Parts: sequence; structure tokens; C-alpha cells
Amino acid sequence: MKKMLLTGVLLALSGAGAVKVGALLPLSGAGSVSGQAARNGYLLALEEINKAGGVLGRPLELEFADDGSSPAKAVPEFVKLVTVEKVDFMVGGVSSATSIAISGPAKQYNTFMAWIGAAAVPVEDAFADHKYFFHYHPWSYYNFEAILDYFKHLRVTKKARNIAIAYEDGPFGSAGIGDTVAAFKKAGFNVVMTEKFKTGSGNFGPIVSKAKAARPDIFYWVGYDTDALPLATEIKQQNLNVGLIYGTPPSWPVGFEKNRLADNVAGLSLWLPTSPNAQSRAFVNAYRKKFGNVTEEYFAPLAYVNLKTLAAAINKAGSTDKDKVAAALAATNTQTPFGPLTFTKSNKTRYQGFKAGSWLSFQYLGDDRAPVYPLKFAKKTTVWGK
Amino acid sequence: MSQALDRGRAVVRRPDVPLRSLLPLGLFFLLALVFPFLPLGERAEYLLQIAFFTLVAGVLALSWDILARSGQVSLAHAAFYGLGAYGFALLSKVMPWFLAMPVAALIAGLISLILGAVTMRLSGMYFAIATLAFTEVVRTIIQNLPEATAGGANGLLVPALLGGNARAQYFLAFGILLFTALVSLAIRRSRLHHAFAAIRQGEETARVLGVSVVKYKLLAFFISSFLAALGGVLYAGKTFFINPLETFSLANSIAPLTTSIFGGLYTTLGPILGATVLRVAEEILHAYIKNGYLVVYGLVLMLSILWLPRGLMGLFKRGKHGGDV
Repeated sequence: MKKMLLTGVLLALSGAGAVKVGALLPLSGAGSVSGQAARNGYLLALEEINKAGGVLGRPLELEFADDGSSPAKAVPEFVKLVTVEKVDFMVGGVSSATSIAISGPAKQYNTFMAWIGAAAVPVEDAFADHKYFFHYHPWSYYNFEAILDYFKHLRVTKKARNIAIAYEDGPFGSAGIGDTVAAFKKAGFNVVMTEKFKTGSGNFGPIVSKAKAARPDIFYWVGYDTDALPLATEIKQQNLNVGLIYGTPPSWPVGFEKNRLADNVAGLSLWLPTSPNAQSRAFVNAYRKKFGNVTEEYFAPLAYVNLKTLAAAINKAGSTDKDKVAAALAATNTQTPFGPLTFTKSNKTRYQGFKAGSWLSFQYLGDDRAPVYPLKFAKKTTVWGK
Repeated sequence: MSQALDRGRAVVRRPDVPLRSLLPLGLFFLLALVFPFLPLGERAEYLLQIAFFTLVAGVLALSWDILARSGQVSLAHAAFYGLGAYGFALLSKVMPWFLAMPVAALIAGLISLILGAVTMRLSGMYFAIATLAFTEVVRTIIQNLPEATAGGANGLLVPALLGGNARAQYFLAFGILLFTALVSLAIRRSRLHHAFAAIRQGEETARVLGVSVVKYKLLAFFISSFLAALGGVLYAGKTFFINPLETFSLANSIAPLTTSIFGGLYTTLGPILGATVLRVAEEILHAYIKNGYLVVYGLVLMLSILWLPRGLMGLFKRGKHGGDV
């Protein structure tokens, strides 16, 4: 242990010859919650990698850049990392818009990119022909595939037939809503209500009233964390008789699980800190040790896995040659807090990491979020309200 | 004055803009022209990207200022910026980019006439709120167009301007900012300058003097929106991608306003200078204060505006004839 620590210290002190990795993240702006979470994940991974001897016997160095959640800021920051900081590899990338904005320079400089976010399909189009683009996060169609799979399970086990959809009128809720409705119908569900709302308005009275008249089995809402509580309150007040309330906000309100209104509300996550697998436990313990708390944001473990696997690939390749590292990373087959990670083709890109099978559906039960689907990961059975 | 503005050309002479006062502006453009050729070392390409977006910010700020000269403090600039971006993205599918660019701007300009006509009787905060609502209306319409056409809420991929060549894109942005500055100077040298100023200082008085308030307010809207849309084209062609949330964001309406105030309202150089100084300051602060640089940036901006009520241009000596250029 002491030897490892000493190696780490020596590596850290010898900045010369470091392998440089640039991390482009939204450390400010709209996506900063995910960006800051990812930053912590990277810092944890960096510490472990350098303690264990770095890469190729050299220290690994991370250069963070803030894209400000804005394409106009992302482009210069990306170019700076590549041309001024002369990073060997790029990691990060949370927002889809900023990722597309840098696709031009990325191709121009033939940059190696191990990307953790940016789930929108236009990103897949933009990087379809980029041979050094490794995408870890599932594309948006994988997210919906996971939800649909769960709902199909509910159709069999709970006789769920009717779905009411409430979605926010911004890009997050509205994007692909037509395809969502069509996919539900194709899968044999009746979409009995499709209503949009304005995020943050807190006015769910008319929507819940309409849903009550439509008598859905599943109330499916696509919105942000700010909508969760007012929606749950309205559903309780109007006594909506529904089997399951299922939401897909990027994050949930802090302390939502302590509120009784959250009982039985279900949602989607790539990871839960309560995930029982060994890698997840190890990550939670290491994270708590370094930062003194436990994160609920899956971008932290995702960034952690991202840097660890990239470092492993560089070591396996035995050099920083992009082709060799790409071949090594493509051959990744490792256990992670999200389950096994391998890279296979997606609809358009060559190297896709996590797919639909990595998503978990959970339910707020008691004071916790319990995985309820897929069944092999379930800790509890879905509580059905009807 | 009224007769002079609208009918009699002999009574009121054109405002003079002494050549001497154009020197700082000329110097700015000269520096901007040679900037890509300066020996900037390994930072050259990065700085070129920063410079590109600074030029776009200059276009946006100056175009906003032209509208403000007629007393209309608009919060709809994001709408025209976005219309330019979307117009370009859609039109470039059916025509060459060099045609798509002016046509997109022209469409945005024509749409601005609708807003101008609707808000004609409003002023002050009522006008500002109406323009803000207009941006929201445009965003909602774009977002609800068929996904196959305008990308819906998902957004739209845009063909790269000039094949993605960063230096060529820079010179295009330079050209558009120069064009915007020339339009601004032309306005200052024309009777429009007096008409806009008269309307700004009091519509009723201007009307009594015979100034066609409707005509000049609409004209200001058209010119301003046309130029803002050109800025939107540059943005879209540079970032390859636009979506309603980013393109029509409130920040795109607020930024030109603060930039113009910081640089110096109702001038040509002021908004351009404001955009340059603020963008450079933001980069420097960002480099030295990794966390919380925006707080410092905001404080600097606030204090600057408090201490420099006439903006950066207030530091320069006023011109004797044509005012600040």
C-alpha cells in the first residue's frame, strides 16, 4: 500500500511526460448539476489511477474545461484543450447541443473522444463517421426501449392497458413525443391522454382532472424534478386512481423519498447508490471516503468508469497511439457500477457502451428507491396502485 | 423638423460624422482584419474561435442598438437571431448558402414588421414584455413544426459554413460585422438618425413635428432584425446544430442589451467595443478564477455600468458634430 502511495506521489510530482486528458464539462449553466457530478467522478478515478501507477508508467493529468452548457463556449474550449493544452484524449460531454457544436473541430483534429453524455440522436448523426468516438451513455431510443419493456411487463402482470401521458413543453419533454405515442400504440397500449404542461408552473389541476376522466392504468410524465412534488400533490388531492405513476426527470427533488407523496412513484435511472453489485459498493465507499457524502447523480459513476476504462485501454495498448488505444478500448469487457461494459455498434456509431439493458426502473418505497425492473436487478416487486 | 425629415430635404442637413471620429472604429476593424495573421503561437486557433464568437456578439449588440435608437428597448432579439439560424438551416437545403444567408435574414426582417406593428402603441416595460412574449411565441411555433421539417424540440443539424474552415468563417463574421457597422454609420449620417432620436425622446413630440413614427419604428425593427438574423446564421453555421431552447434563449436577448449599455448606447463603436471587452474579460476571468468566475464577471459588469453610465464610450471625448461614433 505504501509503495503504491509513494508511486502515486512520485507520479504526481513528475508532471513531465504526463498523459494528458481533456475533460469538457458543463461546470456552469443549465447542465452544471450533471457536470459537477461528473467532475467528482473523474477526480476520484484520477486519484485511483495515479495511485496505482498512472498510465504507461507516467502520471495521468486531467485538464478540465467548462463548456458553460453553451455551444458558443464549448467550441473555443474544445479547441483550446486540443491545440493549446495538447491533450492526448478527450472525455466528458454532457449536453447534446455542445457535443454537436464540437463535432466539427473533433473531426478536424481527429480527436479521440470517450464521451459520457449527449444522448440525443442528432449527436449520433454528427459522430456517425468519426472513428475515435466512444459513447458510454445510452442513446435516447435505448431509454425509451427500457421504459417500454417495463410497461410491457406490467401489461402481463398487472393487466395495464391504458396510458396517460403528461409531458413538459420544452425539448426534454416534447422531443420525439409523437414517436413515443406511436410506440406505445404499436406495443398494444391505449394512449388515453396526451397533455403538455409548462415546467415549473406547478399547475397540474386540469391535467390530473383530465387523466381522472380517462381512467389510465399508468400515468407517465416526462418533465423535470420541479414538477414532481406539485404533480404528486395534485394526484393525491384529486385521488387519481392509477396503477403506477412513472416519471423520467433527469434528477429527482432532493429528499423526495422522505415525502409520503413520493410513495410508489416510479422512475428510471442508470444507477442507484443502493445498487448491490460489488463495483457499485466499491464506488460508493471510495466516493464517500474522498468527498464525505454519497452522490445520487449517475454522471459521477459514469465519469469514473469512463476514465478508468480509458486508462486501462491506454495501458493495454502500450502507447498513446489513437488506433491502438481505440482497439484496446473497443475490446473492453469489464464489470462496472452499471453492470458489464462492452462496446458494440449502435444504429449509427461504431462504439456504443451502455444500452437499454443498463437502465433500472425503480419505485419510491418507504424512504428509499428500490429497483423493481428488470427483474434480475429487482429488490422489490412493483407496488401497483389499483 | 418634421417637414424636413419626411419631405423637405433642404431644411435639415444630414448629421455630420467627422472623419476623425471614425478613427477608433477604423482601428478596430484594421486590428480585427489582421488578427488571424498575428503570430499568436499555439493559441492562434483557440483565439480565432473566441474572436469569431466575439464578432457575432458585436453584430448582435450593434443590431440591437440600432433598434434602441428609436426608443424601442426590445427583448425579442433572440427571436430574430433564432429565425436567422432556423431560416438558414432550412433554406440551405434548397439553395446555396450565400443565398440562404440573406434570404433568411430578409424573412426575419419581414417577420419583425409584424411584431413592430403589433407593439406600435406600447412603450417601456409593456413593450419589453410584449417582445419577450413574441420570442416565446416564435420558439413555440418552431418547436411544434413537424420534426421532419424543423427538428421539433430535438433540434436540427446545420451545414457547416464554408466547409467548417475556421479562418474563412472568421472573415465571413468580420464581413458581416463590418456591414452592420456601415449600416449603423449610414443611419447616423442620414435623416433616420434625427427621426430615431426624435421618436426616442418623445413620440408625441415627434409626431407633432411631423415625423412618421410608425414608418420609422418599423424601419428600425426591420434593419435591426435583418442584422440580428445574420448573426443567427453565423452562429448556426458555426455550431452545426440549433435547437429551440438554446437558439431562442433569453440570454440571446439580454446579452446584446447589456453589451450595448456597457459599450455605450446609440453609438457604432460602443456595442462592438462592449462585446469585445466583455468577451475577452470573461475568458480571462474564466482562466484565472475557475469556480465562480461568473460571479466576478457579473460584479465587474454591474460596477462598470454604475461608474460608466455612458458606457465605455463615455471615456472618449464627445465629437463636436456627429456625437459619438
